[in-house]
Amino acid sequence: MKRMSYAAFAAVFAVLPAHAAELTVATAGDQNMVDYINQYLGPLFEKTYPGNTVRAVGTGPGDAGSQKILERFDAQAAAKSEKWDVDVAVVHEKFVGPMVTKNYLDKYRGDIETGKLVTRNNAKMALGTNVEGYVMPMFNSQTAIAYNPALVPNPPKSYSELAAWAKAHPKQFGYNGIKGGASGVSFVMGWIYAFGGGDANTLMNGPFKEEETKKWDAAFKSLADFTTNATLTPGNAGTLDLLSRGEIAMGPVWVDMFYSWQANGQLPPTMKLVLPAPGMPGQPMHYVVPEKAAQKDLAEKFIALATSPKVQAEGIVKRFNWYPGIDADKVKAELDDATWNKLFVDISPADLAAKGKPFPIAPYNNAILEAYEKSVK
Amino acid sequence: MSRRLLGLALVFPALAVIASLFILPLIMSAVGAFQVEGAFGWGNFIKTFDLYTKDILFTVVIIVLSTVLIGIASIAIGGYLTLGEHPVAVAILRWLYRWPMFIPFIVVGQILRTFLAKNGMMNNTFVSLGLMTPLDAQSFLDWRGIVIAFVWKQTPFVALLVAGAMASINRDTIEAARNLGASKLRVLLEIVVPQVAVTLTVGLILSFVTMMSVLSVPLMINAQSPTMLTADIAFRVNSYGDYGVANALGLISLVLASSVAWIYLRISLKERA
Repeated sequence: MKRMSYAAFAAVFAVLPAHAAELTVATAGDQNMVDYINQYLGPLFEKTYPGNTVRAVGTGPGDAGSQKILERFDAQAAAKSEKWDVDVAVVHEKFVGPMVTKNYLDKYRGDIETGKLVTRNNAKMALGTNVEGYVMPMFNSQTAIAYNPALVPNPPKSYSELAAWAKAHPKQFGYNGIKGGASGVSFVMGWIYAFGGGDANTLMNGPFKEEETKKWDAAFKSLADFTTNATLTPGNAGTLDLLSRGEIAMGPVWVDMFYSWQANGQLPPTMKLVLPAPGMPGQPMHYVVPEKAAQKDLAEKFIALATSPKVQAEGIVKRFNWYPGIDADKVKAELDDATWNKLFVDISPADLAAKGKPFPIAPYNNAILEAYEKSVK
Repeated sequence: MSRRLLGLALVFPALAVIASLFILPLIMSAVGAFQVEGAFGWGNFIKTFDLYTKDILFTVVIIVLSTVLIGIASIAIGGYLTLGEHPVAVAILRWLYRWPMFIPFIVVGQILRTFLAKNGMMNNTFVSLGLMTPLDAQSFLDWRGIVIAFVWKQTPFVALLVAGAMASINRDTIEAARNLGASKLRVLLEIVVPQVAVTLTVGLILSFVTMMSVLSVPLMINAQSPTMLTADIAFRVNSYGDYGVANALGLISLVLASSVAWIYLRISLKERA
């Protein structure tokens, strides 16, 4: 049944028109990802390699966007298409594992010059799957706790302090649960890292053991109590909204979103960030190339350009306040100190190294989400 | 014979669209609800009731409550349009009440998100009017927000149907009741509403089914637990890639929707008889 539906989708896609010498880049994420490619990366590529054009396709925000790209690959694989209609895809970390396991991707990192500049471990392992060589990180992002210093003069330095603070200040801590965006998910993962009763490193690196999932009962019970005392916000943007209107004093946010909102004036410049111990997760978004991409050469050139230190400096760090995908030192050399330091105003590089964690590997990730659904009601 | 073939040929495109875009996906998702890792079983439903029983009840309560409020509001609007005696007020109401119908659900969600927030426009207005102090302000971005969004968006649709039906009933019955000294409220409830009961029911049923399928409003206003089934379906697919439980949830909302659709069918059959 599932196969048939994929075949049906593939038939529909096959009818869609395709142009020659056009590089199709499918990207998950918010509109800013599509804008980034349309307004910055695309024109730059067209200038560097004249005669080619870039077409960006946005597949939607959050995991849903990456899920759509994965399903599109599933469809074309099931239909046994010779040439797939996506040349480069930008997907969330969680989805590269399945793509590699299903043999959809090309092992291209060795072919491009900038491949050597990748240093972080999350380009080798993606939530427990070995993806070495198949991915190039576009950027790294991180979650942290944003707070209003006027209401919270001494921000909590750890999850236990945070829990105590929230108990003393009912409804002043806000987060978006797990169904309204990944900043809430990340907060929950951090909670389990802190109070889960097992070894957090096993959750991040595997292997998956059923008995580990039994150790979280106390943590979820305290999280349920904590949540009745917290304000539930509508989404990642909702937490920032409530913070800017003074309805909450503290809440988990994406660091890049926080800085961008501050730069746009949507968030007061007085707001600050703190990364509580033992840490909160962050994740990269990866560039991948399908094994059957129609224009593999061009795709590799595109990614090499996108991950060059210059583009990473100008596009990723300066424009979007993301942490670079390639080795930070190489990117730092391309930027003036003021721009670079903007990334580390509240969270120092040392903090980031010690408390910037990956998400748990996929089976634990799902088990934690499901346990949350079961216990926090 | 050729006429017959021609007839078939003419309806074929429409039938093909219905079969391939509605019936086939429906069958596929119904079958998918019973498939667990390739084999048939009840696993998806066990998980569904384990995790989402509260959400199922929440959905039913929210939608039934919204439907009741929509019914009351649309009777009030239709009634005033029919029985109101102040021509200017009637004209203004007639002009105003339809607007929400043309606003998409996602925009309604977006508007209410800033309107109903704790320091949103509604509370700020109350505070500046001196009706409330800032300390008493509370956020309506929970189940109440969803109900407000549904009622605000769907009332005009039902009111339009009801007002049309009320306009076409025999005025003599109203005049007679008024002559005998019945108050306007009594005329509305005992004379007018019973005569438009069928239209009202149909309008409410269509609203009920529409509300069952809205994802944007719960997602924008309250995607917490408990939440609406549509948000859960989206979450199952997007976070777990789990179509099995999503299909099971879909089947449950289909059962809920068809329980009222059954009433709709009964009514339309009765009308034809």
